[in-house]
Amino acid sequence: MLDRLTTMKKRLDDTPHLLRLGRLFSETVLLKVGEDEYYLTFDKGALAGIQPGPSRKTPWRFALITDAEALEKFWQPRPEPGFHDIFGLVKIARGRIEGDILALVKNLRFFKEFMALPREEMAK
Amino acid sequence: MTSRIEPIAGRYVTVTLSGVPHRIYFEEAGQGRPVLCLHTAGADTRQWRHLMNDPQVTASNRLIAFDMPWHCKSLPPEGFQTQEYMLTTEAYIETVLAMVDALGLDRPVLAGCSMGGRIALQLAALHGDRFSGFIAIEASDFQSAWYDIDWFHRPDAHGGEMGAALVSANISPHAPEAERWNTLWMFMQSGPGVFRGDLSFYTRDESLIGRLGRIDTARTPVHLIVGAYDLTCTPEDARRTAAAIPGATLAVMDELGHFPMSEHPDGFRPFFIEALGKMPLVSAAAA
Repeated sequence: MLDRLTTMKKRLDDTPHLLRLGRLFSETVLLKVGEDEYYLTFDKGALAGIQPGPSRKTPWRFALITDAEALEKFWQPRPEPGFHDIFGLVKIARGRIEGDILALVKNLRFFKEFMALPREEMAK
Repeated sequence: MTSRIEPIAGRYVTVTLSGVPHRIYFEEAGQGRPVLCLHTAGADTRQWRHLMNDPQVTASNRLIAFDMPWHCKSLPPEGFQTQEYMLTTEAYIETVLAMVDALGLDRPVLAGCSMGGRIALQLAALHGDRFSGFIAIEASDFQSAWYDIDWFHRPDAHGGEMGAALVSANISPHAPEAERWNTLWMFMQSGPGVFRGDLSFYTRDESLIGRLGRIDTARTPVHLIVGAYDLTCTPEDARRTAAAIPGATLAVMDELGHFPMSEHPDGFRPFFIEALGKMPLVSAAAA
């Protein structure tokens, strides 16, 4: 997962429209995959840090909690119904969103497109 | 590159709703049986543009769509600046019937998507004699919101951009990229508070549940269509609704979402043509 997140960081750096959309987004997001935790620290839309957890000392604004199999399905170029969106994962009980949901919604396009970055790689 | 003028023609009509004049934009294409088309929450007539440009559909069907008040080219009523837009079942029914009257439509087929499908079923239950049949797309009896509708109208964020980002969850990954974004653009353009006001109707009014049994499909057929990628009105929601309407039929689209006529026109086309085939011609209905 760490390799995947590192690749996503590079892809984000190479995606100017996402950096522009995220220019006001400087927050830490907790991505919990099964029992593994990753603290993603965004700075003006760029992913400045990926810190594996667990860490009780790292504050986060909102969290996406899911499992590895669900994420792999989410990252398919054409996911099955429910796996096609982070709110779909919630709807089919394969994901939860916690914390400051309004902060997520205000930056929803940015965060959803960030999370979907691996789809392009998977399509190759 | 050759220019092409589309056959869609738009005009305006002023109708009185609850005693207040409203200037409504409508557009149409085709000839023959009238089919009145209702857009989803937070969007407008442009969702129907592909079908209106489809010669196979318009050869024998006159497709008419209008922007609801407050939406796109239909201005809000005078004094809107101090009003809070909140759509209700009663106001929605009044608007649709006023447009049927204003345009002189004789028992049109009513085709509506999402909240348009919801009101189509309300009209099937309460005013079935005014129509010849109902095509209810991404339509259900009721489901409460899985989001906070107040997110979409607040001074510190762009409701349209947030709304578009949210409803993108309802678009199928099979949808062509260009049409996905054309569909989302309408939500981005929605006036402040309009999507929220539509969702108030869609997510808070449960009155249809007790009325479904009143629908007489022997007089006016009801056909539901639902996309597998629709998170808002899921196939389960549509199946439950169809099961509560004796004689209603249902088609499930495996590769489509909540805005099928707009997000994936080629994928939706055969389902809409099939639905039209289930609707009687007006002359047959009158016989």
